[in-house]
Order: sequence, then structure tokens, then C-alpha cells
Amino acid sequence: MKTSSSVAQLWPQISAALPASEDQFLLLFSDTVESSVLDLLKRSRRHLYSQTSNSSLSLNAQIVLDYSWEKLNTGTWRDVDKEWRRVYSYGCLFKVAALCRGGPSEDELRQAIRTCDMGLLMGAAIMDNILQVIVGILQSQFKKSCEDGDDQGQPEVKRMKTECPLVPVIREELAVPRVKCPSLESFKTNYLLPLKPVVLEGVIDHWPALNQHPWSIDYLRSVAGCRTVPVEVGSRYTDEEWSQTLLTVDEFIDRFISNEDKAKGLGYLAQHQLFDQIPELKEDIRFPDYCCLGEDDEDHITVNAWFGPGGTVSPLHQDPQQNFLAQVVGSKYIRLYSPEHTDKLYPHQSPLLHNTSQVEVESPDTQRFPEFSKAPYLECVLQPGDVLFIPVQHWHYIRSLELSFSVSFWWS
Amino acid sequence: MRWFGFGFNAFEQICVHGKVTEDAGSDVKVTCPTELKSHVETSSCCLKKPGEIRASWSRRASLHLDGDSCVCLAGFVTATSVESCGVSGPKTCGCTDAVISEYHLTLTFPGRVEVWDIQKKESTPKWSMEINTQSDHTLKLPLVPGGYITNKPPFYHSLSPCLKAKSLALGAEHALLLCVTGDVYTWGLGSHGQLGHGGLTSEEEPRAVEALCGMPMSSVATGGWHSVCISAGGDLYVWGWNESGQLGLPSQGVRKALQQNQHTQQGNLGQEVKSSEEELQEVEKLKEFFISIQAFPALLDVTPSCEIKAVSCGSRHTAAVTTTGDLYTWGWGEYGQLGHQTLMSSDEPQRVEFFKEQQLRVVEVVCGTWNTFAAAIKEELSCS
Repeated sequence: MKTSSSVAQLWPQISAALPASEDQFLLLFSDTVESSVLDLLKRSRRHLYSQTSNSSLSLNAQIVLDYSWEKLNTGTWRDVDKEWRRVYSYGCLFKVAALCRGGPSEDELRQAIRTCDMGLLMGAAIMDNILQVIVGILQSQFKKSCEDGDDQGQPEVKRMKTECPLVPVIREELAVPRVKCPSLESFKTNYLLPLKPVVLEGVIDHWPALNQHPWSIDYLRSVAGCRTVPVEVGSRYTDEEWSQTLLTVDEFIDRFISNEDKAKGLGYLAQHQLFDQIPELKEDIRFPDYCCLGEDDEDHITVNAWFGPGGTVSPLHQDPQQNFLAQVVGSKYIRLYSPEHTDKLYPHQSPLLHNTSQVEVESPDTQRFPEFSKAPYLECVLQPGDVLFIPVQHWHYIRSLELSFSVSFWWS
Repeated sequence: MRWFGFGFNAFEQICVHGKVTEDAGSDVKVTCPTELKSHVETSSCCLKKPGEIRASWSRRASLHLDGDSCVCLAGFVTATSVESCGVSGPKTCGCTDAVISEYHLTLTFPGRVEVWDIQKKESTPKWSMEINTQSDHTLKLPLVPGGYITNKPPFYHSLSPCLKAKSLALGAEHALLLCVTGDVYTWGLGSHGQLGHGGLTSEEEPRAVEALCGMPMSSVATGGWHSVCISAGGDLYVWGWNESGQLGLPSQGVRKALQQNQHTQQGNLGQEVKSSEEELQEVEKLKEFFISIQAFPALLDVTPSCEIKAVSCGSRHTAAVTTTGDLYTWGWGEYGQLGHQTLMSSDEPQRVEFFKEQQLRVVEVVCGTWNTFAAAIKEELSCS
């Protein structure tokens, strides 16, 4: 087996990100974390700084992960004590160390990256977000070893397919108004204060995602291919068959974008804070200037990625914040209903889905939902470069017409 | 009667590690049933054979209920547990029942119930309450006359006397109550189907499991997110989360792991193997057949011919004893808690062959979070 010399430099790099000595590696938790668990964390720390074999470190790390995993799954997610998310992150850190200390194989490197991502997705930040630092080191190592591995590469210059989708005809009287780069004042007076939807044109043309390095399948693979992300499987989240799974971006593209297989259902990388997980992609986007009209500073604006093939559907629903939906790749059909017509939209009864309508917007059951057709609406097809302002509480239905990548900004 | 333990042993709660081999995982994961030895050899009370076992994640409590009754702790050593038979720490002499969690040791005595903080070295209980044991002395913890005790403050919760509680099992976030009438009630979090009412919603108050109505039950147990009960006729019913096969129903995760394991073994033997993509497709095809959440009670055929006598659950595994003295286990096996001498999980009940081989008849089973304890007697004795 070939071990490239660069692998030998991996552990020194990771080591440099860790505290210099066992004494400086603090393990401080509230009383929520039992002393037995703390004992295991301390054992792991001791193994990390001593020359014991990796199997002891790996085993202790796994125990910490298994125990905190049970805690993360106890009760509802928002009620889980943050301390358990921190414990989970420490478990990830120890596991990554065990995987990388001896000069990892390519498979171990993959596992280590996945472990960091699990910590970033389910854990809480520890030690100045050390998992983010380490995953950066691992990712550049991974790229190096991939380049070493296959010199010939794959010259597949796959652009994002533009397969000329059937674009619904938008009736002029129902079309969401469009304006080109309105001033802050004009946006505020005409749309924000009266809570009126509008498509803003030309406001994201400067994003690197649209010009410097246009987001393509190849670009996403190169920046994020080995990273693990949550994927929704099933056409809409209200379906019985709908489920969530974790895949790497490469796996997601292979399974749901490059080889679209109807039998596998639709996969959608939806409502995921990808830009916190992969800072390199964050460089390619900007906060819309209009967000400054809100009360939040940028740290409190929630930025989500929505990446998937044509045919993904977000059922008619409302959100508790203002939303700028920026379209980067492909097109989406969107319909909007004002909250004053909620009584005609038949929200679900269950508390979990009461912000979601029961009606299938494009083929409504008029027997069960007779009032629905009386509700007035606006519609649009969002094209690359467009930004849709969805006012707070406005009901929206979204269907992708082709391969699509959108970025949403939730702000108040 | 002899007690055996297997599964998670990181705190030496089953057996004390061999010398020097700090490295080996075999000490942390006990995959073969191992007879329990007295943890503290020097203390006289611990030399007695335990009558009953209770277990938490990091500890085991042995209850000696004959004569001068007391509780001995093995496992994670805090200030108290070394000297559990000595002067400091919980004063257990004279107790009639005990329950252990990561934080607390709950003890009942004639006339009172006490909760001790076992993470701290204290000479008085953290909480205690007078109870009227005269009224019903057959109740087992966590039930006490009038209510039940949980492991978090305020500890005591009342139960309506109309329910006529017989026994109670507490899961991570749900409760399963057996009534004198044989009816079963559940309440708490329902996110994984653990309440058995058909949905995933939570219940604040005890609600009868309607699917079991008219079928009197004789025993109940809960894991972290699953529930089981035994009918008066010896049938086993299961519901809740099947993430690791803990219901004994087909689990996608378990099948995938088994396939991967076979894959590696076949690969090692140089046999022809299917590509992982092919296997993945096979698993995908079977999707309909897998059960992730079972929101209604399902009848589980543990063995074709005999009845179930006792059942207990770990956080993600289940163990059942048959009337013929066999022990069956299924669910999560990562720490050896299934006793099948592997670390594989199983989504089908499998007999623990060790006891048959040793001509032992299993009479009782108690699971800790990630381990299993079984009491057995020599086969000859039972035949006489």
C-alpha cells in the first residue's frame, strides 16, 4: 500500500491545532454530564496524550459517542441539553484523532472527515470550533491524495444540465412584480412595510457563485464532494414515505442528480446550513443589502442551501421570518398566498405541521378543500440571478423545474 | 442460583479487568456470559450471593435481601461505591428494594423511601419520603404506595388509585404501567412509537393501550425507546423504535451491517463478492419490509413452541427467558450485550447458547443500559 509522504505530515498539523499538553486540554461540563461519562472523557484525553495504542483511544471515543448519541435522541431535539452536544463533539474529536494518528489510509481519511461533519451537524462547537479547523486540514489532505491517486483525472466537463424544462405559463395579472435593483428606501416603502412579495433582479449578479466560479456539479464536487450533508428523500416532506438520510455531496450527486432513477425517489439537500459547515462556499455568496433593513445583524440571519434535481416540491407552508430566496442555478415555480387567506388554505391539524397546508397546490382536491380555489394568489418562475422577497407568514409553494440550487436568507 | 453478566464492562461492573491489558477491548466488551464474583472480597456482606441485580450504565447493584438485607455496588468508582458496604455512602441495611441510575440509588425501607446521590460522598439521603408500606407491601420500585419514583427531582409522582398499579417500567422519556387487572397504560414522549397508541404524539396522562385490551398482561418492560410486555398466556408484544432491531422485527440498519460483515469475511476468504452497490440495491428493494417504528403492539414469535416467562430491556436491546429455561436476546450488540460471542446486532431473537452448553437453566434476566445479567440454576435441579 502506498503511503504518500504528505500523510506523514497530517498528524503534526492536527496536533498543532490541539492544546499542547494534557493539562491544557480542559474538560469542563455542568452537572448534567455524569461523573462516569466525565471519567471516560478523561480516559480518552489521557490516551490522546500518551503513547498507548490507537485501539484504546478509538474504543473510548466510541463509548463517548454511543452514550451521547442516546442522549441526543432522548426527548425532542430542542430540549436536548447543549452539554450533550458538546460531549458528542468531544467524542468526534477523539475518534478523528484515533483515525489520523497513525497515518490514515484513504478510507480512514474519509471516515475522519465524516466524523468531523457528524460533530458539526449534531454536536456543539468546542475548543474554538476545533472540528471546523481539523476538517479543513483533512479536506486539503484528501484532495492531495486524490490528485496523487488518479493523475489522469476525469475530464467530464459536466455543466449543470439545462434541459429546457416546461415552464408554466404565468398569467400577467397573477405575476409577482419584478423590479431591478430598487433603492433600500424604495424596497422598504413599497414591499417590506406593506409586506408585498417582489422579485428583485440584478441584486446578486456580483456573487462569485454566478460569475467567478459559477456553481457547477464539478465545482460543488471539488469544494464539498467528501463532506456529509443531510438529504431529504421522497418528493415532499408531508408524504408517508419521506425520510432523511446522511450522504456525502458526491454520493448525493451520484445517486440523485447524475443518474436520476425514479425508483429511488427524489433526493433534496434542503434547508441545510451548508455555508456554516463549508466556509469556502460561503465566500461565493453575499448577504443581500436589504437585510440591513431588519433588526438582525448578520450572525442572526439563517442562511440555508436548497440543492436538488427537477421535481422537488416544498408543499404550501409559511415561515415565521422574512425570506430572501436567491436562485443561483436552474429555475423554480413558486406560488404565494397572503396570510389573510389562511382560512381557505386548510392547514394541518397536528401541532408539528400546523404551518403547512393540506392542499396539493397544483392538483387540489376540490371536494375536500372547496374554499381553496377562491383564495387569490401570485406566482412566478424564479430564474438564475433572481431574488424573491417572501414576506413573513406568507404562504409559499415551490417546485423545481430542473436541477436547481437556491439560497434562502431568513431574517427579521 | 448463579448470576452471569455480559456486555458493557468499561467500569468493571461485570468482571474486573485482567492485569496489564489496559489496551484490549475484550475487557470492555464481555461477549461471553461470565459469572459474577463478589466485587469487594474483604467485606463480609458482599460474600453473600446476590438475590437480585439492578444495573445502570456504569454500575451494578446486588441486592442481598435475606437476613441483614443490603445493597452492594460494583462498577464506576466514585467516592461512595468502594465503601458501599462500609461506613459512608448510602446506608442500605434493612432495605427491601432498590433501583439504580447514573445519579441516584433509590431504596425502600419499611415506612420510607430514600434517594441517595451516588456521585457524591454523603452521609444522608438527598431526598426521602414517608410511605405507608402497610397498605401494599408487594409493590416493587419504582412504584410506591400512591405513586412512583423517578430519577430526577421532584422524584415522587402520584398515580390515580383507580389504575390499581401492579408494576411500572420507565423508559428514557416514557412510562409503561401494568395494572392489577392486566391492562397496560402508557404516557410520556411518543416520538418513536413507544406509547403503542398508533401515533407519534406524546401523552401527559396514563392512557390505556387499546390494542391490548381484553388480553391481560402479566409483565412489562421498557428500553430507551421501546416497550415490551408478556401476556398471561406467555406471548410477547413489542412496540416502539426498532433502530437496532430491539423489537426483533426486520431492521434496515442491522441487515446492512450484517451484509457488510459477510462481505468482509467473504472477501478475506477470497470468495466472489457482490459489489456494495448491488447489495445496497437489494436492501433498497426490501425497504417496505423493514420496520423502523412500530407504533402499535406487535406479537413477536420468540420461539415457535414455548412461552415467555420474563423479559428485560437495555437501552437498545431486549432479553427474554422462556418457561423451558432458555435465554433469547436481540437488538443492539455492539458491546456484547446479546451474549452471542460476537459484537453484531440482531433483529431476530437468538438463543444464548452458553447456558445450554453449560446445562444451565435460566430463571431470570435483568438488563443494564448496555449489558445483560441472567440468573441460572443447574439443569438437574429443575428436573427433580
